[in-house]
Amino acid sequence: MKDIRQITTEALKKVKDSDALTLESIKAEYLGKDGVLTQILKSLSSYSIEDKKRIGSEANNAKSIIVAEIKNKKESLKKFLFNEKMRNEKFDYSESFYFPFSKGSFHPVIQMINDITAVFKSLGFSVAEGPEVETDWYNFEALNIPDSHPARDMQNTFYVEGMKALLRTHTSPGQIRAMEKHKPPIKVIVPGKVYRNEASDAMHFSTFHQVEGLAVDENITFVDLMTLLSDFVHKLFGSDTNIRFRPSHFQFTEPSAEVDMQCIFCKGKGRCRLCKSSSWIEILGCGMVHPNVLKAVHYDSRKYTGYAFGLGVERLTMFKYGIDDIRLFYENDLRFLKQF
Amino acid sequence: MKILYSLLKEFVDFEARPRDLASMLTSIGIESSVVSQACLWTGVVTAKVLDVQKHHAMDKLFLCRLSDGSKEYSIVCGAKNIALGQIVPLAKVGAVLPGNFEIKRLKIRGVNSEGMICSKKELGLKEESEGIFVLDEKTKIGLPIEKVFDGEDSILEIEVATNRGDCLSHLGIAREIGAKLRKVVSVPQIKILTKPQTLSCVEVKSNLCKRYIGSIISGVKVEDSPKWLIDILAKSGIKSINNIVDITNFVMIELGQPLHAFDLNKLSSKKIIVREATGFEKIIALDGKDYKLDPGMLVVADEQSPIAIAGIMGGKFSSIEDKTETIFLESAIFDAFSVRKTSKKLNLYSDSSYRFERGLGWDIAELAIWRATNLITEIASGKQDALGDFHTVKYEKTKIALRFERINKILGYAIEEYEVSEILRFLGIDLQSKGEMILCTVPSWRNDIKIEVDLIEEIARIKGYDAIPISKTNTYYSYVSNNSFLSSIVEEFRTKLKGFGFSEVLNCSFLEVSEFERFGLKYYYKITNPVSKENEFLRSSLLPCLFKNLILNISQGCETVSLFEHGKIFLKAGERKAFSAVMYGGVWHEWWKWVERKVNPKFDFYFGGGIIKSILPSEEFMIIENLTPSSYFHIGKTGAILFRGKIIGQFGILNPSFVSDIKDEVFYFEIDLEPFENTCVKKTIVYKAYSKFPIVKRDISVIADKFLLFSEIEKVIKSVIKSGGILKDYSLFSVYSDEAKLGNGKISYSLRLLYKNDRKTLSDKDVNDDVSILLDRLDSDLNVKLRH
Repeated sequence: MKDIRQITTEALKKVKDSDALTLESIKAEYLGKDGVLTQILKSLSSYSIEDKKRIGSEANNAKSIIVAEIKNKKESLKKFLFNEKMRNEKFDYSESFYFPFSKGSFHPVIQMINDITAVFKSLGFSVAEGPEVETDWYNFEALNIPDSHPARDMQNTFYVEGMKALLRTHTSPGQIRAMEKHKPPIKVIVPGKVYRNEASDAMHFSTFHQVEGLAVDENITFVDLMTLLSDFVHKLFGSDTNIRFRPSHFQFTEPSAEVDMQCIFCKGKGRCRLCKSSSWIEILGCGMVHPNVLKAVHYDSRKYTGYAFGLGVERLTMFKYGIDDIRLFYENDLRFLKQF
Repeated sequence: MKILYSLLKEFVDFEARPRDLASMLTSIGIESSVVSQACLWTGVVTAKVLDVQKHHAMDKLFLCRLSDGSKEYSIVCGAKNIALGQIVPLAKVGAVLPGNFEIKRLKIRGVNSEGMICSKKELGLKEESEGIFVLDEKTKIGLPIEKVFDGEDSILEIEVATNRGDCLSHLGIAREIGAKLRKVVSVPQIKILTKPQTLSCVEVKSNLCKRYIGSIISGVKVEDSPKWLIDILAKSGIKSINNIVDITNFVMIELGQPLHAFDLNKLSSKKIIVREATGFEKIIALDGKDYKLDPGMLVVADEQSPIAIAGIMGGKFSSIEDKTETIFLESAIFDAFSVRKTSKKLNLYSDSSYRFERGLGWDIAELAIWRATNLITEIASGKQDALGDFHTVKYEKTKIALRFERINKILGYAIEEYEVSEILRFLGIDLQSKGEMILCTVPSWRNDIKIEVDLIEEIARIKGYDAIPISKTNTYYSYVSNNSFLSSIVEEFRTKLKGFGFSEVLNCSFLEVSEFERFGLKYYYKITNPVSKENEFLRSSLLPCLFKNLILNISQGCETVSLFEHGKIFLKAGERKAFSAVMYGGVWHEWWKWVERKVNPKFDFYFGGGIIKSILPSEEFMIIENLTPSSYFHIGKTGAILFRGKIIGQFGILNPSFVSDIKDEVFYFEIDLEPFENTCVKKTIVYKAYSKFPIVKRDISVIADKFLLFSEIEKVIKSVIKSGGILKDYSLFSVYSDEAKLGNGKISYSLRLLYKNDRKTLSDKDVNDDVSILLDRLDSDLNVKLRH
């Protein structure tokens, strides 16, 4: 009779080397009705009690070891086969993905207004809007731009026939409307569409957008304005963006300044198609609200001071994405729009 | 405006080189750039030619060796005039020449060239030039080329703000430099000649003329101007005419005061009358054109007719010619607004009107007439006969009290008192200390300074905005913000539609008549001065704009186009905010799976309606039958959107007869945003415990009259759901309309009903009983029967 230990070793080796087809026959060979171990157990009666006990327990032991090993082997074979099956179902990821709708897009100009609004909201500003068809008073007179002033010629105005009305040339009327509605303190931005009767070219179009800003309170200073705008630029374009303030002139602010931002494409190194190698790009005009403007809305200019600013949205957007023609914004060609 | 660097130096002593001067001026609010020379190059140095040899392969090329003192370069050059020992401008690798021309390392016929020897043309010094530019043999080598031209002139292009008329001259710019650098500005020396007779031929009849100074100079010799004068004018962009006219123009660019010279002998009765035009007067101006003058326009006239449009342009008749002997020189101050109005009305603009419109300095008018008279007697050998100065107003200098505490209050940072006084004094402002304030007397040329804050700006500007300390932490306070729902409803529409593949568009608000008429739309606002016929009216709907965008994109080959826009529309009652979208073509974009499965639905009425349903933010919005559809909708395929009992929008397929040029159906919807301006429709959400028991599904098909709106059936189902029974939800999963099988005028709907009990698992019987109740109601209310 073979040594049970030897039988076990032999059986375990066979199980290890088996595959799905041979595993069952191995099981039969050792554990089946005529299996080697079964035979041993059957022949126990011919042994002495001592041997019966010893061989019986050895054989049973061997049996359970082999059963467990077969069970393990079965599991791992099953796992292997399932993995094989999945491997065969492999998809070509490079072509199969699909979403039924094509990619939608937001208009870059609207998105820029949203971004600007979000920044100013985070700095404590509320948002107001105003009409696009305006009166001479709101668009000019109240802003200290009398008819006699040459500044009027700078803003080629569209007039509406048969009415004493015009299309607003800037969002600054929003300042006046906001101040008429609210007593100071006031802190508001006014985004919107504006119109100028200009020949269109890569940098000019009859329609564009501005965001106007205004704050009036008892202790507002020019330094507050400069701090606000530098915060704004840093929040929108990153804190490594340099800006500079240049004295300028607007009828409705005094002192006035223009803000230039360092070109984000050439980082001031020059030779750049966007900033025309000047390395600075003018992004907004601002200043301290002119006392005549405060007077127009019956604010006490001895008690209150304020600042105002206005920025051109298209310009900033063109600058942000490297767009070189403003008219692209209004053509609405999907080949353009879907890029954003 | 062009300013000559060299001429500035006559007025004020400064060291800044042109480019630095330009940035300094820019920093004090006068936008400047150098338009010629000096800053045109980078990386060009002077170098000496050490060796010249013929190129082995090309006869016309030379192989040269050059040195800039620290390094030697081998250069291939084609210029015939190159010779040993010359000092030449060498553009090294990496150098940039005018026109953004960058010098690169090149291999010419197998030989390396480490740069280029430049010609005058390549350096932008001349229009045309032959050969390389050979510099003076004493020129040092290794010098940046701009240093070589230190002595030569540069021209600054300057943009002046509308309120700074005083800066429209060399003197004006010099004053700004003087203020910034704290230097005294010198004014040209004036020789007061032997006291001339008083002028008797002038009469000022309108107070639109504030000051009128005339000077009569006889015995002038009209001829070509000297070279220096022609040169200065040419650099300033002014053509030379003759010595007299050139002098008036020179004094204008020098001091800022426009002058005019008349040939006195051509004037009727040798009279000068400053008056407003009457009746229908005409004048042929110096530009040769005939101008009809309106009554009230200010003119300078002789006894018979106008001889000049005051401050704008002289008349041809009285102009200076070669044979002119006696001239009448005018230096005046005309009312700025009057000049502006006349200029605009006649559409006639000149260097003179440009300055008058912006206001002139009272004192400068006098300085200018003397300066011009001096120059004329010097250059054109005339003799001054008479001088007269007429005022219609009493001129007084502006006096402003400036409080020190106010400076800090406006600017937000402290400036020392001595610095304030220094800046103001160098701006030509007279100061008189009065305790906590100073009384400032503003010089005549600064008519832009009217109130205290104007002075504060001057202080900040000259001190420099870059000197202002920007604080790192700004204390913000918040003004109570009333964020209207508008932005959030639009935000909801936008975000969802983008997810469905829509693109947001932005159109200008102008349309032409045919674009309204195509859709039977009315239009209300006409632009008086449109940019073109296509932009004559303000849009009364977003539809024509979106339609235009649709057509464009279809023509570009797009098979699926879905666009939306929100913006103002202009209706009879005023402007309103609107939201619209258009969709066309395949709902889904092409995919091989769709081909495999033979599906690719087109945007149709149901899909469009589904999109609308899914973007509406709350259950307060309902879709109902459109009883009054706009004519641009297909009558059978349109619906309306209801919000709190009011119709706020409509949708549907565009009337095919209006859009017959498009092959498939176009879905369009529009929503009026105005009702949401001040309305909060955000849904208040109250959590409800959900049932843990399973849902039972039951599918039924019913037969209905085909003209019965499905929404009627829905209403019944919804009322059952609302009654709180076990029916919880439903969906429509099939519509069958084969009348041959169903019977004439019949339609069949297949519905999936969802049942659930919150307290127990439902039995078949529970569900069957409830289905029967629903079917009974459909039968009795709508004559809708179960289809077997």
